[in-house]
Amino acid sequence: MGCIGVVISSAVTYTRNKFQMVPLWLWLLQIVCTSFFSMFFFVILADYVSNPEVTVRYVVIGNVVQSMAATTLYAVSDLPGTEKHVGTLSPLMQTPANLFCVFLGMSILNIVAGLISSTLSLGYAQFVFGIDLTMANFLSVAVIVLLTVFSLTGFGMMIGSVGLRLRTSSIIANIVSYIGLLICGVNFPLSYLPEWVQAVASAFPLTYGVDAMRGAVDGANILDIGGDLLTMTILGLVYFIISLVMFRMFEKLARNNGSYEMF
Amino acid sequence: MNTKAVRASFKQQLIQFTADPQWIIPSIVAPFLFTAVMLMMYPEKSDGIVLQAILGGGVLGMWGNTLFASSFTLSYDRMNGTLDNILMSPTQLFDVIVGRSLWNTFIGLLNMLLVYIFAKLVFSAPITIADPVAFVVILTVTLLSLASIGLLFALAFVLSRRSYILTSILEYPIYVLSGAVVPITMLPEWSQPISMVLAPAWGVEALRASAIPGYETVFGFGMVGNALVCVGLMIVYIALAWFFMKKIVKNVIETGSFTRY
Repeated sequence: MGCIGVVISSAVTYTRNKFQMVPLWLWLLQIVCTSFFSMFFFVILADYVSNPEVTVRYVVIGNVVQSMAATTLYAVSDLPGTEKHVGTLSPLMQTPANLFCVFLGMSILNIVAGLISSTLSLGYAQFVFGIDLTMANFLSVAVIVLLTVFSLTGFGMMIGSVGLRLRTSSIIANIVSYIGLLICGVNFPLSYLPEWVQAVASAFPLTYGVDAMRGAVDGANILDIGGDLLTMTILGLVYFIISLVMFRMFEKLARNNGSYEMF
Repeated sequence: MNTKAVRASFKQQLIQFTADPQWIIPSIVAPFLFTAVMLMMYPEKSDGIVLQAILGGGVLGMWGNTLFASSFTLSYDRMNGTLDNILMSPTQLFDVIVGRSLWNTFIGLLNMLLVYIFAKLVFSAPITIADPVAFVVILTVTLLSLASIGLLFALAFVLSRRSYILTSILEYPIYVLSGAVVPITMLPEWSQPISMVLAPAWGVEALRASAIPGYETVFGFGMVGNALVCVGLMIVYIALAWFFMKKIVKNVIETGSFTRY
């Protein structure tokens, strides 16, 4: 079976297993509530701090994009660590299927979760928090959401590959999904940060996703935000390539020293 | 209550905390990042603002600890098959969870201290506390009140394997409704009655009163009054958790549902 076949098979099996464990309505409820409450938290804070640069609109738009990091990035990076935790990584490694393809398949449901989360967050932005989206260019918004989720998946796969080697990948997954709140311009302008932190932020796809989304809701078309979209796409591709190499490397190392059994 | 079991559970939680680095996230990393985000969002960093951010980051860390150690550990017990062993032993599950929660309280104090040092060093923040002794005492009470909410959450984890969803849903509302991030008066009116039945909300008000000279508490009653209401509500939570834990444990043993993962 080729990689595409493995991805499809893995995605179907993972999705079935997931909904065996958690009913669809509960899974959706989790996405609906967590994306709403995390946005609500920062809206309340923005309203309180009375910073003219950190308006409710500013944090709401930032958190629409951040919601994808909180769902897709975290879940994708945590996959290999979870398999190791529940003891199924070892049997997975004994199959002829390519591990990268297996985990890419598992990521698909989490990619869908990210898309649902960002769409819902946009709905909250307009209907709950009263953000005016009449100027928004929805084609640009859709492209940003798709490219952000693509690049975050590549980034997440790269982080997740570490789970083959280390005891767990969930620590790094947690740090990366939290750190986006601080360094990617989600809740305050990047200019507030020291220059070296801004340099680190430029390696995070979320930074470009947030910046592009701010433009798109103000009416920017795809060409206007082309720089951000191109950078994000290149970053996503680079992270996918790196993650492929890292999966191979860590898989080999894990097989040699048996660290895939280590938890 | 079997104090020997509580002590043993406390010790075991300590060992697991040091052995399993996952706990670093709710204990150290998340509160630091959230405190930093809050401080960055404020245009000015006056005494009261910094204290507000530290309280927010601190409560966030404490609540994260509570969720992880009082509730998620039960999830791991269920997953690893050790929940069966705990329920089969003569030790009450309630005592085991209380021991774990007490460890969280201790770590929460350490966490708040680290957030304080972080704010002081990184942001050169001016922080003065009017009554440091009262502050530490009330902080401990507030931490214990959060741990008592953790006991209530633990009930759900014994009852169902799907309870982790409940905790991820309620993570942010507790931060907001406790008034640690922004004062309760800034929240929507409909949410204020919910805050009033949350023990940490009273604890946080008492903390503010102990730290800021002349602070008028939202609910009235002053510093001591707020601390006492916090203790009263905490006792109610513990009593409810103890009562329902007995019923739920009896039920899951009879149905064998605790073995289902």
